[in-house]
Amino acid sequence: MNALSITGLELARSGGFRLSVPSLSLAQGEQALLVAPSGGGKSTLLHLIAGLEDPDAGSITVADMPISALRGAARDGFRGASIGMVFQTFNLLHGFSAIENLMVAMMFSSVPAATHDARARALLAELGIDRPEQAVETMSVGQQQRVAVARALACRPTLVLADEPTASLDPANAATAIGLLQRACRDHGAALLCTSHDPSLRAHFSRVIDLGTAEAAR
Amino acid sequence: MTDFTIVLRSLSLRRFSTTVTVTMVAVSVALLLVLLAMRDAGRAAFRRGTGNAHLLVSADTSPLVAVLNGMFYANAPSQPIDWAAYMKIREAFPWSWTIPTQLGDSFRGSPVMATSKEFFTSFEPVLGQPWSFVAGKAFEAPYEAVVGAEAARLHGLRVGSELVLAHGVGTASGEAAHEHEDHPVEVVGILAPTGSAHDRAIFTSLETGWCVHAEESRLKEAGAANPGEDDHGHLHVDPEDLRDSEKLITGILLRVPTRPGEQVSSALPVAFDLLRRQFPFTVAQPAQQVGRLFEIVSGVDTLFIAMAVAVMVAGALSVMLALYNSMDLRRRQVAILRVLGASQGRVFGLVLAESAIIGLLGSGLGIALAAIFGTVASAELQRRVGLVIDPTMDLRTIVLCTAAATFLACAAGIVPALRAYRTAVVQGLRPLG
Repeated sequence: MNALSITGLELARSGGFRLSVPSLSLAQGEQALLVAPSGGGKSTLLHLIAGLEDPDAGSITVADMPISALRGAARDGFRGASIGMVFQTFNLLHGFSAIENLMVAMMFSSVPAATHDARARALLAELGIDRPEQAVETMSVGQQQRVAVARALACRPTLVLADEPTASLDPANAATAIGLLQRACRDHGAALLCTSHDPSLRAHFSRVIDLGTAEAAR
Repeated sequence: MTDFTIVLRSLSLRRFSTTVTVTMVAVSVALLLVLLAMRDAGRAAFRRGTGNAHLLVSADTSPLVAVLNGMFYANAPSQPIDWAAYMKIREAFPWSWTIPTQLGDSFRGSPVMATSKEFFTSFEPVLGQPWSFVAGKAFEAPYEAVVGAEAARLHGLRVGSELVLAHGVGTASGEAAHEHEDHPVEVVGILAPTGSAHDRAIFTSLETGWCVHAEESRLKEAGAANPGEDDHGHLHVDPEDLRDSEKLITGILLRVPTRPGEQVSSALPVAFDLLRRQFPFTVAQPAQQVGRLFEIVSGVDTLFIAMAVAVMVAGALSVMLALYNSMDLRRRQVAILRVLGASQGRVFGLVLAESAIIGLLGSGLGIALAAIFGTVASAELQRRVGLVIDPTMDLRTIVLCTAAATFLACAAGIVPALRAYRTAVVQGLRPLG
């Protein structure tokens, strides 16, 4: 089973934007950095993989499930259960505590409700959040990022998509943060596809996919 | 973590908007409830008071005015009926009872009705509820008075208090009324509240009223020179000395015989016609006239209800506006929930549940507001107008209003919920700014 396989993906938008990914796959637990010039479609590709947007042509399969063929609630449910997402601005739910952010994520998955609390606490502790009841908007940027990573892993996803996860951090913290993300994904057996415009991150990944070249294909 | 927690958290996150919206709904619900309760209670209060009298004979020109004056103490009837006419009416038909009444005097703004003892024994102020005394008994001798519950409370009267009656209704400040100072009247009985206009009145025997007026008019006739004076240097008239021309009344309450336990009688139309044909007075059926009064004011009534409904719709629109505006703030929240696996339908439901909760909270608060306002307003109405209004709202009205408010709030929530449903997830995820 591959964590991700893409074949013949095509998307064109008005204004001349074109995204073309003939073939791309990620093995289970594999980690890769996705690079492209600004406006090159990195975020769009992540959204397509997560099923938040639809391609014009081609197929996207996550954990052997063709997400591009799923519709409506089935697709939303599949995304919640199999894909974790980490954003540049974290996109945590404000007004909710750290642990509640994880609980909301698990609420939409098939993880048994009785295990939610324990799992959320364990994940947060593992990622160094010692006050799980704290409201996320009162946390430091570094802590918020840890909560975001924990939330992405809460439902035991096959694939974690990270969209510029270090863009709001300074270089030293960025290195720590990417290390944390990579280790957490490895520990939980999730594949990681990470986008960044920061060349210094290349050193952290054994595989770099450049959307601007044919090397994307494999 | 449940959907309900998410909804509550969303509401408390936008505390200000939620509070304003809930208040708006509450005010609308309260207004509607109060209007409905007051309308029903006002009608009930008016229906009371005509009691078990079938007919009212008066020299007033219109039946409605006759009833308003004669039974609700609106004004003193303008024209008298002489005693001989009363005796003739009494003999004209086999009445169940006849009660003469005379209005025109007052005590510090409270109307004084002179009447016969049958007023307390035969007349029931509220159907099926005869008079009852909280203290003392009915008057027996001249210069004795029985005081209605509200009048007693208003003037602080108790058994043994002395009143100086004033001729004419005058104003509460006592400007226009002329006081019969030389003959105080003693309170011998206090009535229990009936919820009718009679609670505001003070009752004396007809002789009391007649003697007081006779003294006054004879003094005027004779001037100060003529004797027959009492100890205080004033003229005194005993009931036995009253001339027939001084025995004037202003109204007659009548009841035709009915079968035991029944209120209507086939004899009523006959008696009604007979009085109309043979006597030059106005004959009114009190219950019918009260019905007419409601017909006259029903247009205003409808207007009030229409206004209340308009306020309710305005409340619903404000719920919609509040939720719709907050959609901008929570586009991100909706997008995050979608990324975490919530379906469009579920997000739709969450937003709809928010408006339902606003509707329910608003209704609850509105019901409480209405209960408080109803209690205050009914106390005030009783104090000022003597109308006893039961401020308790009936359960059906409460349930209906709550359902209507919640339904309207949900309906108002549909538009924002649809907007949440359509929100493009990808746009909601973009960094702000």
